[in-house]
Amino acid sequence: MSVGVRRGLLLTGVLAVVAVVAALLVSGLRHDPADTASPLVGRTAPDFTLPELGGPPVHLAALRGQVVVVNFWASWCAQCHTEQPALNATWAKFRDSGVVVLGVDFEDDNADARDYIASEGSDYPVVVDANSRTALAFGVRGVPETYVVDQSGRIVDRIIGAVDAPTLERTLDLLVGGGAQ
Amino acid sequence: MSSREAVRRVRLPARLTGRAGVIGLAALMVVIAGVVALIVVAVRGEPPPTTLAQEAHQIATTLRCPICEDLSVADSPAPLAAQMRQQISQELAAGKTADQIRANFVASYGDTVLLSPPHQGVGQIAYVLPFVVVAAGVLAAWMLLRGGRRAATATPPSRGRPDARQSDLSVADRDRLAEALARLREEEP
Amino acid sequence: MDQLGRFALLLGLVLAAYGAVAAAIGARGRRPALVDSARRTSFALLATVLTANVAMVVALLQNDFAIRYVAENSSLETPTFFKILALWAADDGSLLLWNLVLAGYLAAVALRFRRYRPVTFPYALAVLNVVQIFYLILVNGPSRPFQTLASPPPDGAGPPALLQNHPLMAVHPPFLYLGFIGFTVPFAFGVAGLLVGGGSDHWAALTRRWTLMVWCFLSVGLVLGALWSYSVLGWGGYWAWDPVENVALLPWLVSTAFLHSVMLQERRGIARLWNVVLVIGAFALTTFGTFLTRGNVLSSVHTFSQTGVGPAYLTFLALVLVGGFGLVAWRLPTLRSPAKIDSAISREAAFVGNNVLLLVVTGIVLLGTVFPLAVQALSNRQVTVGGPYFQESLSPVFLILLILVAGAPLLPWRVASRTSALKRLRLPGVVTGAMLVVLTAIGVRDVYAMAAFALAAAVAVGNGAEIVNGVRAARRGVDRSWWTALRNGRRRYAGLAVHVGLALVVVGIAASSTFAQQTEVTLQQGHSTSFSGYTLRYTGLDSQKQPQRQVLTTHVAVTDSSGNRLAPLHPSLNLYPNNSEPIGTPSLQRGVFQDLYSSVIGLQNNGKSATFRFFLNPGVTWIWVGGAIMVLFGLIAALPARRRRRKTDQPDGRPQTGSRELVETGAN
Repeated sequence: MSVGVRRGLLLTGVLAVVAVVAALLVSGLRHDPADTASPLVGRTAPDFTLPELGGPPVHLAALRGQVVVVNFWASWCAQCHTEQPALNATWAKFRDSGVVVLGVDFEDDNADARDYIASEGSDYPVVVDANSRTALAFGVRGVPETYVVDQSGRIVDRIIGAVDAPTLERTLDLLVGGGAQ
Repeated sequence: MSSREAVRRVRLPARLTGRAGVIGLAALMVVIAGVVALIVVAVRGEPPPTTLAQEAHQIATTLRCPICEDLSVADSPAPLAAQMRQQISQELAAGKTADQIRANFVASYGDTVLLSPPHQGVGQIAYVLPFVVVAAGVLAAWMLLRGGRRAATATPPSRGRPDARQSDLSVADRDRLAEALARLREEEP
Repeated sequence: MDQLGRFALLLGLVLAAYGAVAAAIGARGRRPALVDSARRTSFALLATVLTANVAMVVALLQNDFAIRYVAENSSLETPTFFKILALWAADDGSLLLWNLVLAGYLAAVALRFRRYRPVTFPYALAVLNVVQIFYLILVNGPSRPFQTLASPPPDGAGPPALLQNHPLMAVHPPFLYLGFIGFTVPFAFGVAGLLVGGGSDHWAALTRRWTLMVWCFLSVGLVLGALWSYSVLGWGGYWAWDPVENVALLPWLVSTAFLHSVMLQERRGIARLWNVVLVIGAFALTTFGTFLTRGNVLSSVHTFSQTGVGPAYLTFLALVLVGGFGLVAWRLPTLRSPAKIDSAISREAAFVGNNVLLLVVTGIVLLGTVFPLAVQALSNRQVTVGGPYFQESLSPVFLILLILVAGAPLLPWRVASRTSALKRLRLPGVVTGAMLVVLTAIGVRDVYAMAAFALAAAVAVGNGAEIVNGVRAARRGVDRSWWTALRNGRRRYAGLAVHVGLALVVVGIAASSTFAQQTEVTLQQGHSTSFSGYTLRYTGLDSQKQPQRQVLTTHVAVTDSSGNRLAPLHPSLNLYPNNSEPIGTPSLQRGVFQDLYSSVIGLQNNGKSATFRFFLNPGVTWIWVGGAIMVLFGLIAALPARRRRRKTDQPDGRPQTGSRELVETGAN
């Protein structure tokens, strides 16, 4: 092989490798590494029976026929404070059209959780996931994390981080057929 | 310093007969015994985990702690990882197999909860990659060494450097010379 | 302060641009005056970048929350020590430090070659300035460390909790930076060698010592990182195969390969192409690693918050790869080696083996690290490649590499016949065999651990004996003291001693990863548990309010199997206002053979009970000691050689001609 040919081949090789690396990294840049897909979206939500904070147990399967917004939260979580008004508003707007907002308290102290609820003025049901069994079944990676379960018990959406009221309401509108207008 | 001086300076090695031969044989025996020991241990394999706790720990080392990015469930100090360890122990006690327990976590978290890619689908490629890399490495080494040796026999040795292949020395003398030269070079700062 | 900082960074950019242009024109047109002005500019550049860094530190110390970076990474309560550390708490500030280190290396090169000017120097100066331009553009453009806030907050958010949790954070990042950025120097000289052409070997000799220094810095950075992970994170381990750890390991592996193969080029003129590829590769890998860490591509404990620097790094990386390897392709004919390897049983062949194996490790780590990215890009699925994968695929390669470390230094250069090679390898062979038999006899049943222990022993004994034999032979030759003999063979003996240090590290890693024990218990106050012969009793809890955090310290009394009271353990949980989850601080008793390690992972009922993790980690101390030995002797090998001839410097600092070059490089 002549030097020229070898040189050309080598240059082509270098360019090809660089192109592949660049393509890979560009695609890497466009994905948020924290945004991991949930395999549960589109599947039946894992069932749970958890005690309400100082109250009777709540059974998820018993809520079939209603849309359930399962919100994992904790009193020590800063983003949960951020999203609390949106959740309160959603509950107020949709509670009479077949939507239940259900808080699931995660890795928390019961007294702290009660103080938090009192100070935020939320009145939707909150259950305690004492050994994180339910969080593990839902594939929770941190709080807040929110799952929307439709009338047939399927998970239709998952939101990582604070929920944003308009987006959540749009999802719920679709599920309850705009009954809240 | 000329190479002749170097040869004179270094003590000549004893011939490979008599005492030296016995030492060589003994050394060979030790090496063979060691290799045999290693093979015996390798063939018999590691004893399987005996207690449930050990088995639970082994499962936990293959799972990634979902909230701490890099650590296994066995290693992570995070509370959620502690809960996962507890759940693994309980499910083991309830008679589930390691694969079933892992499958449960995969159902909730997806394949990312496994610290090694799954042995199916695209994940398999990951297990082929090391062999590809090793094959490429072996090929590179072979080409370098073969090409080098061919060139060495094809081209006459550079002047002033004694080249063993070109000399009429006996094998033993060649060894002695090579060794003496090597020592000489090593002493060069 | 923000104005001073911004001005300094802009001025720095102008200076670097001038330096690059002047050095390049000076090199092309052979105009020494221009090159010299570029050389002098490096010192001004260092001063301006230093000013920018000082401005940031002053702003941090003065609580100047009008600067966004200060508001985000410091607070009124932050202790002064950690306020200074906040300089590298986040991406923007750490880029300032990055620029400072790079400018420092640039000035060091300018100082080193103030009188003696190899032909490659002007080109290398230009390349260094170009790299500096890139990093200065980053701090002037996409990342703005001195950006101000319209309405400054009364107090800042404070540094990230992990950063202010341990003083090791004061040294681990700077050493990694010294290591990472240092590869710019060999890269610059490698590229300069290609630009000059003519098959010159001198760039390799020139950069060998630089690379060795940089290798030492990177080793310190890696060992400190492991020490930090072990002493701070509380998981009982020191290496997690985190993507960021992996990308820091990559240039270390490649530079280790280079430090061996460069001897081929120095002695025999072999492996020219190979060496220049390694040098460019090491630099490209550092850029790649920086991109992965700062571009928010992979998730890891080390990820900086999202900034806009990702695309800039990508462009720069593409430039480095195309420019560097393109130059290699262009200069291919000049990179032919005049000599070839004579025999498959020789030091040269062993170096080839060493390089191939180190690059195999590099390849596996690199591919494993980017594999999740590739899977995501191609199939939109997500997978993890973590510790078990790397351990399984790398352990066999590392063991083969250890065989080479044990045997290769004993092989002669050029040609060895089978009998002489066998005789030289007898000692490490016998040590390996005997160790394997002994380990089997005492009941070790882990194949990898057995092989690692046996080979580590062979490495230590073989390399150690080589030092002793070499000194003895030298003393037989000429009547010299052992000290003179050692000093005259300094470079070789130091290299062998680095291998002995490596053997200790291997023993520590094999022991701790095979024989570690652990337990997790929840204890009521006053209750105890037994663990591997120790009795551990939870005696109480302290709460201490520090300015920046609240520390909850548990007390654990320790008695050993024969009832002797040992020093108590005090693992703690630290609560930071800006961090929701508490951060633990482990407490450990280090020992020669094993460490007793404790961490507390949860408190219940106001500390009436606590959940602890206890570990018994054998051999970890050996990793730190071995690492220290490797770095110490690496530095000894990197010391400048004594000049044999008196320097005949020309007073006016004119560039020198080729003959001077030979004297200098020959003395290395």
